Amino acid sequence: MIDFGLPLLIGYTLLPFVFVLLSNYLFEKTEFANYIYGLLAVSFVSKLSEPKRNDFLKSIFNKYNYKKLRILENIIYCLPFTLFLIYQKQFLFSIILNLCVTIIMLFNFSTNLNVTIPTPFSKNPFEFTVGFRKTFYVFPIAYFLTYISVTVGNFNLGVFSMLLIGITCFSYYSKTENEYFVWNYNLSSKEFLLEKMKTCLTYFSILSLPIIITLGISFFNQIDILIVFIFLCYAYLTTIIFAKYSSFPNEMNMSKVILIGLSFMFPPILLIFIPLFYSQSIKKLNTILND
Amino acid sequence: MIKIKKLSKFYGKNQVLNSIDLEFEKGKIYGIVGENGAGKTTLFRCISGLENYKGNISYDNTKLKDHLGLLLTEPFFFSKITGKEYIQLLANTRQIELSNIENKNIFDLPLNQYASTYSTGMKKKLALTAILLQQNDVFILDEPFNGVDIQSNLIITEIIKRFKELEKIVIISSHIFSTLADTCDEIHLMKNGEIIKKVKQVDFNNLEKEMKEFTVGNRINKLELK
Repeated sequence: MIDFGLPLLIGYTLLPFVFVLLSNYLFEKTEFANYIYGLLAVSFVSKLSEPKRNDFLKSIFNKYNYKKLRILENIIYCLPFTLFLIYQKQFLFSIILNLCVTIIMLFNFSTNLNVTIPTPFSKNPFEFTVGFRKTFYVFPIAYFLTYISVTVGNFNLGVFSMLLIGITCFSYYSKTENEYFVWNYNLSSKEFLLEKMKTCLTYFSILSLPIIITLGISFFNQIDILIVFIFLCYAYLTTIIFAKYSSFPNEMNMSKVILIGLSFMFPPILLIFIPLFYSQSIKKLNTILND
Repeated sequence: MIKIKKLSKFYGKNQVLNSIDLEFEKGKIYGIVGENGAGKTTLFRCISGLENYKGNISYDNTKLKDHLGLLLTEPFFFSKITGKEYIQLLANTRQIELSNIENKNIFDLPLNQYASTYSTGMKKKLALTAILLQQNDVFILDEPFNGVDIQSNLIITEIIKRFKELEKIVIISSHIFSTLADTCDEIHLMKNGEIIKKVKQVDFNNLEKEMKEFTVGNRINKLELK
């Protein structure tokens, strides 16, 4: 929580409210909420099945106590989900969920896939290399949505598919890297930021190019709107890069996150934020790059 | 030549480096030894410019950082980046064009696997390979032999010796005295943030004896081992 600039106490107090709000939203939006909810709970609990962690527990507790502990922690972990299912009168689902998490206890498995996923960005690590591997499934979804948008003649859906790629690329810059990876650059702060920007905008353009071309041809009369959205993506990506380094080597604080959130409601404010974050980034980077 | 004058470092009110004066010449290998918490890593971070400090550090009127290969005690790795990409990343930071990385894989590392899955020793070897390929003039190696197998130990020792021929400046910290004695021209002994002794190669044997007496003394007797 401190990473987000929130004191722990406030963070933990807010957490149950956020959980209830999101759960409510899910159950209001879809009739399949209980299935999605169950899957979410199981994937959440499955984090406790990491082999390293369980080997450690096995070395401490005897077989009986180990099993008791694992069942108990799995049930406690999914308790918020169980309680919400009961509140939603989904009694059968809550029983099935608890049975599932009890059975999960019998298996130890790693939830991290260590298979090396190929990426077209391996020549220029790291943001897009790591990000692509974490979100590779988003791109076929986005391209498929573009295809649908063209077949049903829905321009908005097409724009949404491009924004989906923009948001995904945006997320690659939300975490701050270790200062060692900035320190290593023999560039000035300005050159460093321009380099980061160049990489980000180029790779975003490459990933969204199939969508831009398809929409440009299929909805030629709305190409001006499309261009506005492309430039908005560029502006937001630039903002997140500058915002990230404006707090470096610390994580972005909550106030900056809120400011960026506000900018989504009123994009012209970026004309203030971009130069502001840029000048703050230069100051922060000067100390690391000895500029 | 690297010249350090009156280098001091404070963390709040706590002074971790106290008015250090040091000079590191080209073509020489320097060892820094001292107990845990003596200030070795802080000294390295100050030299490399990762920490603010009081005093002066200069290097041939150029920016030292841009010619420096820094091997951290515990190198940091991203979660989904392969060994090869890590090397590429560090080369890119210095605008070095790398070709045929596989051929330069002297430690036979599984370069196509995620680096975060490597063992401690493998991570150290990867980080070392990456800074070697950056073509630096100065190297700071913080515990380069930690967790590394004996074969790789020999390779690292030979690399350090080769650096001497290539007129590079190498500064190493290690808790394994024999490796320092094998490679260094000079060893600096650190205690409580100060350099308390500078020893030339001819006196290394005496230093080891002194350190043993000073460090071990009659401490072990306190355990009353039976």
